[in-house]
Amino acid sequence: MTDQKNIGPPRWADRFLEWYCHSKHLDILRGDLYELYDDRLENGSSKFKADIFFCLEVFTLCRPFAFKKLNNENSNTIAMWRNYFKITYRNLFRQKVYSFLNLSGLAIGLACSILIFLYVSDELSYDRFHEKSDRIYRVLEHFESEGNGEHSASLPFPTGPTLQQEYPDQIAQQVRLFNFQSPTLALANKLSEKAFNESQVFFADSTFLKVFDFELLVGNPETALDDPNTILITAGMAKKYFPGEDPVGKFLELQGTQNLEVVGVFRDPPKNTHFQFDFIVSFSSLKQWYGGGYPKNWYWNPCWTYIVLNENVNPEHVEANFPAFVEKFFPDFIVDDVDLELQPLTDIHLHSKLDYEITANSNIQSVYIFAAIAFFVLIIAAINFINLSTARATKRAKEVGVRKSLGSSKPQLVNQYMLESVFMTLLAMVFALIIVALSLPYFNGLTDKSIGFDFLLQPYIVLGLLGVALVVGLLSGFYPAFVLSNFNTILVLKNAHLKTSGLTFRKVLVTLQFAVSVSLIIGTIVAINQLQHLQNKDVGFDQDNILMIPVIRSPMGAHYETFKSTALQSPHVKSMTAVEEIVGAKHQVSNYRFEEMEKSKPFAHINLRHDFTKTFEIPMVAGRDYDMTIQTDDSLAIVVNETLVKSMGWGTPEEAIGKRFYYRNQLKGRVVGVVKDYNVVSKHQPISPFILKLNTRPRAFNLFIKYVAVKVDNNIEASIADLNSAWSSVLPNMPFDYFFLDDRLNDSYRSEQQLSSVTVIFSGLTILVACLGLFGLATFSVEQRTKEIGVRKVLGISSPQLLVLLSKEFLTLILIAFVIAIPFSYLLTQNWLNGFSYRIDLEVWPYLVAGFMTFLVAFLTVSYHSVKASTINPVDTLKCE
Amino acid sequence: MKHTQLGEFEELVLLIIGSLGDNAYSISIKEELKNHTQRNPSIGALHSAFNRLEKKGFLDSYEGGATNKRGGRSKRFYKLTTLGRKALDQSYELRASLYHTLPKLGLSND
Repeated sequence: MTDQKNIGPPRWADRFLEWYCHSKHLDILRGDLYELYDDRLENGSSKFKADIFFCLEVFTLCRPFAFKKLNNENSNTIAMWRNYFKITYRNLFRQKVYSFLNLSGLAIGLACSILIFLYVSDELSYDRFHEKSDRIYRVLEHFESEGNGEHSASLPFPTGPTLQQEYPDQIAQQVRLFNFQSPTLALANKLSEKAFNESQVFFADSTFLKVFDFELLVGNPETALDDPNTILITAGMAKKYFPGEDPVGKFLELQGTQNLEVVGVFRDPPKNTHFQFDFIVSFSSLKQWYGGGYPKNWYWNPCWTYIVLNENVNPEHVEANFPAFVEKFFPDFIVDDVDLELQPLTDIHLHSKLDYEITANSNIQSVYIFAAIAFFVLIIAAINFINLSTARATKRAKEVGVRKSLGSSKPQLVNQYMLESVFMTLLAMVFALIIVALSLPYFNGLTDKSIGFDFLLQPYIVLGLLGVALVVGLLSGFYPAFVLSNFNTILVLKNAHLKTSGLTFRKVLVTLQFAVSVSLIIGTIVAINQLQHLQNKDVGFDQDNILMIPVIRSPMGAHYETFKSTALQSPHVKSMTAVEEIVGAKHQVSNYRFEEMEKSKPFAHINLRHDFTKTFEIPMVAGRDYDMTIQTDDSLAIVVNETLVKSMGWGTPEEAIGKRFYYRNQLKGRVVGVVKDYNVVSKHQPISPFILKLNTRPRAFNLFIKYVAVKVDNNIEASIADLNSAWSSVLPNMPFDYFFLDDRLNDSYRSEQQLSSVTVIFSGLTILVACLGLFGLATFSVEQRTKEIGVRKVLGISSPQLLVLLSKEFLTLILIAFVIAIPFSYLLTQNWLNGFSYRIDLEVWPYLVAGFMTFLVAFLTVSYHSVKASTINPVDTLKCE
Repeated sequence: MKHTQLGEFEELVLLIIGSLGDNAYSISIKEELKNHTQRNPSIGALHSAFNRLEKKGFLDSYEGGATNKRGGRSKRFYKLTTLGRKALDQSYELRASLYHTLPKLGLSND
């Protein structure tokens, strides 16, 4: 019996009993429980068991008869609550300016946070609606040697089925998506002569609907993609191609050659998937394009391959098989350079930045930045609320005095002011929701989303919003409530001068607010600068007035030279070439072997036709460009960029000329030219060693040549008309389609554009909200000092002096805020910029501009009051005492 | 009559308190109930029954008999009041008179 703690029943249960039990019963009940406890121990129960029973018994004693009487409740409670509401209501309308500032600040803050919450939750919801989403993985291929190569989201044709065959106990299903690597494919409803170039057409294995949960409105999901020459279309496309008809059983013609029967219609797929599709063609339809079977090549990797793991299979165990798998199946010359990896489906949208993504993904960093902004806006708004409420508190000192002398207890006063504050936040929440409902369409436009307001009406979100309002209300009501309830009754009622309590606290909060606002402004300026830096056209090639015409899998291959010479007859068409990918956005990778190399290695390259450097105005540094008159250029000559020369250690570009390379394993070709470096992909990445490969074979238009690129003069309309007529002279049956290169290149920076436009708007709003708060505080401060101002005016203060007197206090705070913001924003922006290969250097001026702007806005806010104060007639303020 | 109505559990508790005489307190009542009926009411259920019965005036209580086991806390002993005794009598008579009206050997499938 030395240590009571370890021998007796559990202390917490005992305390709990003491807490709820009425003192009248406590001793007896406790005695009973102890006796029972002891009896159990004597009867040989373990201590643990006895403890459990003790606890159970404590809980069974939780009955009404045992409870303490809540003695401070009495019949006028309801009346008091009604009174609280009445006072809240009266205060709201008596001080209209304050109430407006308070509510609008908070409402704006809440609305911003809600909007960003919507954005963030939409971003996080990508690909999660599939029932098997936690088991679906995309297979990736890292094909890299000494930093050159590719990280591919797509794989060779045989990979998916072979994986499934090899590891049937781990892999339940696989599905491949394929689109000829073509930006668009032509589809036509011949009967009604509707023909379009479609960009969202995929060939997919028949398991597509078993892996992914896309809903079929019409058609049998079990068998829909089993047969060759069948196609599933979305409801939207059904309207586009078959208006007013039932599409099932009708035919669509693909690329002018293959008839596909429509066997089902999808409900329009949700937007939150990492790939959007309009048409799914059965995979077996491909056989006719490849001589009756699928390509068996393990080098060409055009298929996005997804696998479903069996339940409870650890993806790491599957990945452990990959080295052996690669060894067994991939061709010898690349085996050492290939690594396969599994990527969870749900990671694709936010975490994946590979080569050959189906569409550009979003990135998690923007989500973090947005979430941080939302948090800051909310904090600033809450601080406002606290500041204005405490500032107002002194106005209500009399009310508190009267309440106290009439017997109000401190907890009651705290309750009252907490209630008021929660009520105000709920009101602000209502306004915020109205703002959200009104601004959602614009926000959707800005962020390229289609979020509906009904998303907010889900029960758990409604509860969440209420929760947020409650928490903000309680937090911001907390401080004022305690300040108010602590007023000394006698002093207050005697009208003694009240020390403006909480002034330092408010100053700290205002400083914090402005520090955050200044940081956001600095961040915004930096983001805009970086965006401009990325978008400036200093990419090493000319992107103005260049038209890109998609030609893959069209008969253009046979007619290219005719088309080119016809088009060049137009005075508006300056130059023409044909390329594999969009120049400056994308490239392919292929194996090359130069003379010093033991074996071939992957290099970034692009297939092209003559006049590439002329069309894109890329200067030659050494040697010559491919020449029309030299027939063998196609196989025995190669043009490389400066970085390749450097990475190979060939010395100067001139020295690189004449270096040999292997063609079909024979040392045959030579480097004939070196072009000046240009950005082969977006400026997110540095310039890599790069090869320009001439490919004049007409069959190249099936895969290696995707676009015709045309440089036109400023008369765009006439140029297009001329090109169109040249096009129809060679391909009368194909739709003529084109886009401008610079538009497409700008799309590469869409996520930065979004980020900067969102930060501009939201940092503007934070400044607005912070200024609302400052305005309120200044109003209050002037009101407090009317007498002082009166006396000073009588003694002859000038208006400028008055201005200094009133604004000095606030402007010092902003100065401090500015000093705090500098290191904070420096770290943040530095961190963000480090993610870019091409980045601006941080300069001093954004800081100065942000500081000056904030200072100016704050000064104007405060000086409004100074001007007003300077027009006061001292008689009015001094006459009554 | 309404206020004298007894629940089944209350009636049992009253009977046991009567039979225990001077040693009727929660734990002993609990033990007796367990012995006679094989059911083991929680201490909470018992106390709440005592409380109800006391309010109805069927029970009287006094404190005393502190033991070491209880950490020196007293027990609350219960005693039947005259009213309580009357209620038990009434309920017994009612049952007995109803019982006598049962037809003899009513269990036809014996």
